[in-house]
Amino acid sequence: MRFLVQPHPAALDRARPPVRAFLAFSVLLLVGWAASRAAHGALTPDGLARILEPSPGERFGPLALWEEVHQGAFLYGFLLLTLGSLLVVSPVAPGLRNALIGVATAAALVDLLAPFLPVVRPGFPGWAALRIGAFALAMVALLAAVVLAWANFGREGRRTGG
Amino acid sequence: MVDPRVARFSWPIAAFAAMVAIVMATGAVLFARKMGFDGGHVRAFYLGAEATFAPPRSLAGLLEVAIPHLLAVPLLLFVTLHLVAFAFGARRRPFALLAGITWGCAAVGIGAGFVIRFAWPWLAPLKVAAFVGLEATMLAWLLLLAAAVLPPARRESRSGGLTASGAARSRAAR
Repeated sequence: MRFLVQPHPAALDRARPPVRAFLAFSVLLLVGWAASRAAHGALTPDGLARILEPSPGERFGPLALWEEVHQGAFLYGFLLLTLGSLLVVSPVAPGLRNALIGVATAAALVDLLAPFLPVVRPGFPGWAALRIGAFALAMVALLAAVVLAWANFGREGRRTGG
Repeated sequence: MVDPRVARFSWPIAAFAAMVAIVMATGAVLFARKMGFDGGHVRAFYLGAEATFAPPRSLAGLLEVAIPHLLAVPLLLFVTLHLVAFAFGARRRPFALLAGITWGCAAVGIGAGFVIRFAWPWLAPLKVAAFVGLEATMLAWLLLLAAAVLPPARRESRSGGLTASGAARSRAAR
């Protein structure tokens, strides 16, 4: 945490290699996450409806939905915190950084919560497409955050503040 | 008062707090739907029940749930408590007490399933108590995190009794 709150040049130089290794694994996680959803058929509206849409009489939706949201929120939470914090200590314009984290967070929330729309209101149209679009947007925003952090973390410009 | 260095991290911390809130809320729903909040249901979940043709949980099945939680729960608690301590410069005793309750509830919650299944089924209410304790204390930590990233004017009146005075925080920062 020290290199985040006390970004001295020496600390940042030492931190750069492990940060970049972490960022590489973040890319693998994001790609793997998308691939996993594709493999389960969750990147098409029909496939998503088959997995997560509540059966008749299933008032609170399938357990699989709650489990997926439980795990998904955990992953999103740590990615947003770590990538967002790295951007804070990188020479990235605050507006761009906040916009990126804001878009990623909003898209993640829509991705996680959209499958509850047909639970709350059975037959809700378009929820699956909404979820797929939000997931794609969240992935793009998080990948952009990774690229920005990779390119800028530890660079000279940032060392003057944030 | 909140450590001024936290202001720069408001967006990532707010996003993290929102996601942890979803993790805890969905965890509560999963607990309620799979086990329920009374000892009898928890016992039936682990030991099986003839009435519902539910088999007893196997060791492999329990480990499949416990192992990811043994990584995820401590990591979540560590980061959340770290952020609260960073933001507020926590007072030693109340912070340690609440943190101890949180860690204790987490440990009992994860371990109790094995104990109920293989040793003492009558400990089922302890599993429920540990889960409720973990949820309640996590709610408190999340409220503190939310208070840390609220705009300053509204934050002043919301910081809790766990937090240190400005002077104490300044000492900690030095």
